[in-house]
Amino acid sequence: MSQSSAELPEAAVRRFSSGAFSSGLTVPDFAACLQLGLEPVGLVQGFCVMQWGWYGAGSSFMRGSNPYTMGAQSDGAYSESYRCPHGYVSAEHRMWGQNLEQPWVEAAWSAGYGAAYARMLDEATALGAHGVIGVVDRVTPVADSQTSEFHFLGTAVTVEDGPPPAAGVPWTTYLAGQRLTKSIEAGFMPVAVVASMASVRVWAYCITEYQMEGGRGWGNTNQTGEVEQVIRAHMAVRQLARKHVRQKLVGDALHGVQIDVEKRELAQGDEVIDCTIRGNRVRRFKDFDVVPSPRPTVRLS
Amino acid sequence: MSEDVAIDVKAEMLRGAQSLATAPPPNTKRGVTSDLSIDEALLLHSAGWEPVDLVCGVSVASVPFGVWNWGQGEIGVASAAHNAAVQGAAERLKEECAKVHGHGVVGVRIGVEVRNHHIDVDLVGTAVRPVDGGSTPALPFVSDLSARDFTLLKGAGWMPAGLAFGASFVYAPRRSAGAALQQKTQNIELTNFTQAMYAARESAMERMQRSALEVGGHGVVGVKVTEGPMSFARHAVGFTAWGTTVKLVADVHRNIEPQVILPLDDAVVMFAAQNLRGK
Amino acid sequence: MTQPADPPKDLPKDLPKDATHRLEELEHGLFTSDLSVNEFLLVKEAGFHPLGFVMGSSIYHIGLQTRKWGESQELTKLTEAMYTARELAMNRMEEEAEELGADGVVGVRLDVNYYEWGSDSAEFIAFGTAVKAEDGTSYKNALGKPFTSDLSGQDFWTLMQTGHVPQGLVMGTCVYHIAHRKLTQALGSMGQNVELPNFTQALYEARELAMTRMQDEAGQLNASGIVGVRLEEKSHQWGSHTIEFLSIGTAVTKTTGEVTLPKPLTIISLDN
Repeated sequence: MSQSSAELPEAAVRRFSSGAFSSGLTVPDFAACLQLGLEPVGLVQGFCVMQWGWYGAGSSFMRGSNPYTMGAQSDGAYSESYRCPHGYVSAEHRMWGQNLEQPWVEAAWSAGYGAAYARMLDEATALGAHGVIGVVDRVTPVADSQTSEFHFLGTAVTVEDGPPPAAGVPWTTYLAGQRLTKSIEAGFMPVAVVASMASVRVWAYCITEYQMEGGRGWGNTNQTGEVEQVIRAHMAVRQLARKHVRQKLVGDALHGVQIDVEKRELAQGDEVIDCTIRGNRVRRFKDFDVVPSPRPTVRLS
Repeated sequence: MSEDVAIDVKAEMLRGAQSLATAPPPNTKRGVTSDLSIDEALLLHSAGWEPVDLVCGVSVASVPFGVWNWGQGEIGVASAAHNAAVQGAAERLKEECAKVHGHGVVGVRIGVEVRNHHIDVDLVGTAVRPVDGGSTPALPFVSDLSARDFTLLKGAGWMPAGLAFGASFVYAPRRSAGAALQQKTQNIELTNFTQAMYAARESAMERMQRSALEVGGHGVVGVKVTEGPMSFARHAVGFTAWGTTVKLVADVHRNIEPQVILPLDDAVVMFAAQNLRGK
Repeated sequence: MTQPADPPKDLPKDLPKDATHRLEELEHGLFTSDLSVNEFLLVKEAGFHPLGFVMGSSIYHIGLQTRKWGESQELTKLTEAMYTARELAMNRMEEEAEELGADGVVGVRLDVNYYEWGSDSAEFIAFGTAVKAEDGTSYKNALGKPFTSDLSGQDFWTLMQTGHVPQGLVMGTCVYHIAHRKLTQALGSMGQNVELPNFTQALYEARELAMTRMQDEAGQLNASGIVGVRLEEKSHQWGSHTIEFLSIGTAVTKTTGEVTLPKPLTIISLDN
């Protein structure tokens, strides 16, 4: 999953050797952190700019096959085909349509995310940290199309009297402060910050095009209807994102999940839908004792 | 907070860190994914329920060309599209919930976009079920109640039954030039405007009520009515009414007998896990 | 100064037929409410059951009114308009509540909406949840109508615990024009710390008018007091020298002598 990075940038080495720590924690979070026996050792970050080629290597388009031909992609990625029910109408009438998962986009995203994450972990390891808390991750598109910048920031910590990190890889979590305390009290140990992305392209066929562009189509006078092709693409992209994330969990639970969907409508009913899922991978380390029902209260001020 | 509490969490943190060092047992179990915060997950557990999985439902309903051109009265096709979109999305959400053996979905976040040629509805929530199992019901419930509200209602003997929704779109009525001039200096009610807006609002509310009756609900709480012109057609006004349908499942409503408290600080009081344990 | 001229006598008696249809559905047992879950549980705790979400609206055209640029004065026509428009909306909401057989309406909200196609006109809307006492006692007010109040579910429960009962939402309004200063006056006081007497006087008088009118309404309901008074100041669409002062609160009367509010627990929370 992670690529090994080049040596740490020189500025990072200078910053780390100064002795005093910097941390992105707020004061209450800092206090809660100390209460947990965690000692901040430094602010760490990882960075990567990734570009994926338009219809990059490995796509069915580049392999010379026409996305309009019916047939599943050979790498097992999701695809669904739609065929026009009308007879021959005109050269512009879109007789075939397809929903296509775009594994090359997903692979590039994964690589970029993984590289930035690994670089943050490298900085943490250089400081001798056991874990990184309060992680903030950002994916920002850069001016050129098909390019994104991945940035990770977190506070590296050591656990008082704690063991060195398992397999030399510090654990990470988005949480910090009180929320991390509650999570630990409830018996969940953070393992890693996990995120996955799925991307589906909709090549609309005639019916979808008419529906999305307000056309009345054939025999469809003044009625509304669900746009089946687009709906199936939306449902698929969300299911795929969850499937990808699940593969990284290996049976552990994912808490505090955030799901973001971005869609770009292109001309003629075509669409690209990207779905990103992020969350904290956690593992139960003690049996769960259920808390009693809390007492409801009414505040007087 | 006493000293022992502080030592307690330190020891637990250490224990957690040590647990990672030991290799995890081979785990073929399907892990839980949930978007509940840790507070909500704990509350849910205290009511005997647990989160199962994140579930989604989406629908896109087309709106034919020319629907938004200025006419009179209700814009029936747009209303039908919006209602169909919400219904379709809720259906798919229920299907996903049933597939993971959830009994219902809580904390549904609703995203609606009304565009010129289509209306999109996007629902995301967490499927939940009772910890001690029990057979999956034929109709899982869908609600935008937070896990916290779900727990409170359940304690009082109620259960959510579904998302109540109704929409209605209307054209702003026109005034003749003569009438407009005549009314310029007067304080006067514009009766046909009033009627048109009133009728549309009531219509949205009525559809919401009907959706509640359809799932056998006894009432709707948390009703929110939104209204506003369409950004692409400012003479068309859309009204939507959302709420949570609830059903009394106990014989009678159980009073909750709240404790009155007087906090002496400024911070908003949210419950802390320590307080739950009665320390 | 008393209220502006009596409200128009031709207040509609019939609600739109869509409303009656919806209300019929509610009378068959389904309730709707815009109470949150917390408020719903507390209203039940207070011994009331929600009947239905009720609303009333009115689109009102506010006529032009001439004014003297240099004088501070109340713009009585505009005051009347704002008052009447809100009354129309509130009355329709009360009619819906009466139709349901309610004892009162809680959580009343008054909103004003402006639409681009309605210049000089605004839509006034009143929303609330109609409730009824479960033990059958009537809580209707001195005028024989269901009470209205803008109290939230929590405040309603707390009020009932203190032995007081809401009577009605009372409001007083006053639209005031604030004189523009003469140029010499403005130049004279530029850059100085100085009180501006016309502003002071104008704002003082306007607020007093609004509050007095509100208290007169409470008097009509034989109330012993007003709680939760809010003073709102808006310019709506008239520019910055014309302000509407709206004073709004819930009139209450004392019922029994005892206060059943249990001794509160004082806490200091140490988390954020």
